[in-house]
Amino acid sequence: MKVPMKWLKEYVDINMSAEDYASRMVMTGTGVEGVEKTGAQFDKVVVGYVVSCVDHPNSDHLHICMVDVGEEEPIQIVCGAPNVHAGMRVAAALDGAHLPGGKIKKGKMRGEVSMGMLCSGPELDVPAGLYPHIGDEGIIEIFEDVKPGTDVKEVFGLGDDIVDFEILANRPDCLSVWGLARESSAVLDEHFVMPEIAVEEAGKGTFDDYAKVEVLDDENCPRYCARVITDVKIGPSPKWMREYLYGAGVRPINNIVDITNFVMLETGHPMHAFDLSKVKEQTIVVRRAKPGEHLVTLDGKEHVLDESMLVIADKENATGLAGIMGGEESEIVDDTASVLFECAAFERANNRITARKLGVRTESSGRFEKGVCPETTMEALDRACMLVNMLECGKVVPGAYDHYPNPKAPVEIEASVKRICRRIGVDVPGETMEDILNRLYIDTTLVGEDTLHCEIPAFRLDMDGEADISEEVLRMYGYDHIPSTLMNAVTMPGFRDEKTAFADRVKAALVGMGLFEVLNYSFISPKWIEKLNLAEGDPRRKTVTLRNPLGEDTSVMRTTLVPSMLNTVAGNMNRGNMDGKLFELSRVFVPAEKAGDLPTEKTALCVSAFGEGVDFYTVKNIVVWLLAKFGVTASIEAAGDAYYHPGRKAVLSVDGVKIATLGEIHPDVASAFDIAKRVYVAEVDLDALMPLEKPFYGIKPLPKFPAVSRDIAVVVDECVGAGTMMDAIRKAAAKTLEDVKLFDIYRGDKLGRGRKSVAYAITLRAPDRTLTDEEINATMDKVLKALNTQFGAELRA
Amino acid sequence: MEKMLREIRERVLKNIEEAKASSSLEQIRVGALGKKGELTGLLRGMGKLPPEERPKMGQLVNDVRAALEAKLEERAAELAEREKQARLAAETIDVTLPGPERGAGSLHPMNIVLSKMVDIFVGMGYEVVDGPEVEYDHYNFELLNVPKNHPARDAQDTFYVEDNIVLRSQTSPVQARVMTTRKPPIRIISPGRVYRADEADATHSPVFHQMEGLVIDENITMGDLKGTLDEFARQMLGQGIQTRFRPSFFPFTEPSAEVDLTCANCKGEGCRMCKGTGWIEVLGAGMVNPKVLEMCGIDSTKYSGFAFGMGVERMTLLKYNIPNLRYLYENDLRFLTQYR
Repeated sequence: MKVPMKWLKEYVDINMSAEDYASRMVMTGTGVEGVEKTGAQFDKVVVGYVVSCVDHPNSDHLHICMVDVGEEEPIQIVCGAPNVHAGMRVAAALDGAHLPGGKIKKGKMRGEVSMGMLCSGPELDVPAGLYPHIGDEGIIEIFEDVKPGTDVKEVFGLGDDIVDFEILANRPDCLSVWGLARESSAVLDEHFVMPEIAVEEAGKGTFDDYAKVEVLDDENCPRYCARVITDVKIGPSPKWMREYLYGAGVRPINNIVDITNFVMLETGHPMHAFDLSKVKEQTIVVRRAKPGEHLVTLDGKEHVLDESMLVIADKENATGLAGIMGGEESEIVDDTASVLFECAAFERANNRITARKLGVRTESSGRFEKGVCPETTMEALDRACMLVNMLECGKVVPGAYDHYPNPKAPVEIEASVKRICRRIGVDVPGETMEDILNRLYIDTTLVGEDTLHCEIPAFRLDMDGEADISEEVLRMYGYDHIPSTLMNAVTMPGFRDEKTAFADRVKAALVGMGLFEVLNYSFISPKWIEKLNLAEGDPRRKTVTLRNPLGEDTSVMRTTLVPSMLNTVAGNMNRGNMDGKLFELSRVFVPAEKAGDLPTEKTALCVSAFGEGVDFYTVKNIVVWLLAKFGVTASIEAAGDAYYHPGRKAVLSVDGVKIATLGEIHPDVASAFDIAKRVYVAEVDLDALMPLEKPFYGIKPLPKFPAVSRDIAVVVDECVGAGTMMDAIRKAAAKTLEDVKLFDIYRGDKLGRGRKSVAYAITLRAPDRTLTDEEINATMDKVLKALNTQFGAELRA
Repeated sequence: MEKMLREIRERVLKNIEEAKASSSLEQIRVGALGKKGELTGLLRGMGKLPPEERPKMGQLVNDVRAALEAKLEERAAELAEREKQARLAAETIDVTLPGPERGAGSLHPMNIVLSKMVDIFVGMGYEVVDGPEVEYDHYNFELLNVPKNHPARDAQDTFYVEDNIVLRSQTSPVQARVMTTRKPPIRIISPGRVYRADEADATHSPVFHQMEGLVIDENITMGDLKGTLDEFARQMLGQGIQTRFRPSFFPFTEPSAEVDLTCANCKGEGCRMCKGTGWIEVLGAGMVNPKVLEMCGIDSTKYSGFAFGMGVERMTLLKYNIPNLRYLYENDLRFLTQYR
């Protein structure tokens, strides 16, 4: 909320710079975004008096003006505005002036010297309404008798410091000049002086003779106050009011509208002014909208309403959205003669929901959402009428309408000095607390040594317990008094939960293998899942879908990490990073069976490798080594999802439980992700892997007896897996097998088409003796027999 | 015979002296001392001498043999040393040649920082607790004193999945889950992913990470909160980093504070990064609102506690002086490889 310092100073003494004041406020809990001056967008613009004005000899629209700018001699300025004439007071930008559009320099225009520029409203970026006629065509005419050379900021009421406050959600009372003045008075220990509110009533009859109000929804409209003004004379509001409004960021319009805005800013109560003659039967009805009811708001937008929405209506139609925006129909216009002022309290939640549904947010709705104090509604309305008196723009009809069926009971809090001190960790004496609270208009008495009896003022909607009192005490006493202590409590063990610790071990292993971790969003485009060509009924097609995503590209929660990884690879290739090994460890989301249940969140790992020297076995090894790190050996078979290359994919499982899938990405899928090169990907189900981890108990004793090495070469059909045969060798050689290594694969005419020879080096050793030739031969026979029966392998001749 | 011996001795010694390689030394040894060597031949010829001369000559022959052997050994050592030096000289390589590519990978910088943050609090006796990212409104908001249609919800534009299910907008729901299921003393941290409907820009991301902490015990004060965060700041960003508490508002805590840390870039002198203030806003914290304790079934007259929360990405940008949050989610290898 922007507040001019001058306005604040009317109610509280602030004897320091705006910047110092701002930092005092910040350190006591009132945020400040910044301090700036009004009119800072220009300088060196003064009042000029046009002494003479003749046509430019070389132009059909330029004029040569001699302008008195308060210097010894008038200066010559060339001006193209149609409304410039001799005897006029103007805003003259002098040589070297900075304007929003750039710097003004003396020069020649079509051969004639020009020492500056005469300015229009847009050229100074000041709004129509700030000063009469600013909005007119051409340059600004200053109607007051001001001495030439006077800074125009003085004339327009610019140059004041504006403090831009950032009010916290719990302090709606500070969304007003009075509220901030009151808060400032407590912070600075100065007096807060509110104007005495007295309305001068005039005219015949009373409120009831002019208008009627019916409130049909007490719950959503706890208080409604109204007054009538007759003999209204619409015109500009006085300079001081325009200056304050402009400083607060509100465009001045006319006296009646300006009064409602002024009162809203000053008191925090949003107001509305109706042209009473446009209100059918002069009756205001506060009710819920009828289903499908139409309403055109002040901004010209048409809305279709529903029954949850509170409206202000006349006897026939809805004329405004309660607390949000008035209707076009009863808008104040230049010939408005009688006005009904509304000042009401509308319920937060209903207001918020309606504003959200319709997508209309205004200064007014923002305030009602945060909370407006119903206790001071009448006071605000009377402040408006007092301003009508002051501005002499109408007669305030005697009497008012005030509907407040359930006044709020005042809140009282008993607080303990000792408990507060313990909570905040600072020893603040009871008397000091009492003083601080009273400064904040919390009527407080210290009873005995420990009890604070506090009566909470109505405008403090946020306070209802001792904790609130402790915060008030501490922030005024100063957060800088909080000591730095470490808790005096029982020692507790600190540790990572098992899942986090496991994930950390996985990551450490991958980093050790030269992989880089990436981070991707958890939500992706449903199109990315499409691109994987999953089978029709694949569970990964069923996603948790966001109701209000930022866009379609981020609208469904990931069921697999693969698409994000492919996108990351594509992004890197685009940037010329042609080699890489990456991983992401994150969650995937499986929708719940039943609405209202949370989805299942699984921990997944995705690895990718691409570039020179990288092939299927690169990712295979990454996964096999990772598993080995956790003492897990998986069996591998040629299988996997359709988004992998049909001949280069594998599934790793342990006891029938799938742990990982890996392979080369199918070229169709790669190209769907704009990848032109080969990419290898592996997916590991970490939730499945975690329980398989074998703790490392200790070492195997080192061998005491010699090992024997035997090589064999067998011929098999091409389709037999060399790795599968290795598993068979391990099984057949059993106890005495120490190691088996593949050392050669040979294909040739002698073997026949579709046949290959595979050679293994087998090392045998017994822990307790030297193996005899008979034992070794028996083992090798077993191996060969196993290979022969399982794979039709024949010993290569 | 004596003369012959002397002649052999002189000649062989000279040959040894002139030998250029270990291999020629061996030839010399064989020629003189080998089975068919000259000296061996002489010894064999001793039988022809009169018996009384034999011992004397035997002595002489043995003296010559010993002298030659000593010389051979000496020369062999010399040559071996020379040959070793020559080999070493020949083995000189270009040490400026680059070795093979560096093989190390790295964690993502955000996780490097998160891991450090977790380490600091684990060291102070905190347990890491995990929770769902897709969460009930009840835990994400209501138990944290943010009822439906409360304006405080505006501050965190939330993604909805169903009426009562959201993508958690903070990691605080983990705290709510812990408070409703455990008894004090509680001392936990909950790091993790959170989601807010903010468009990505230099300082925002719709997905980011937070780490929140919660302590509930008897006699916990706001001073303990400050002490804890002071210790965290020192360990995280270095000696001389302090905290500054400013009053603030969070529905979950009362009193609440925005916590600034000394700008690590200028050490509090004031610079462009801290907009000249010497402080950088990093954390939100406060004493757990007694209403929250009560809602979660904890006796607020007996127990008090503090809570704090911070954005991990923000800390990462600060720690590594990264100018734009987008870097963290672009996964550009030219960025990531700088962390290995």
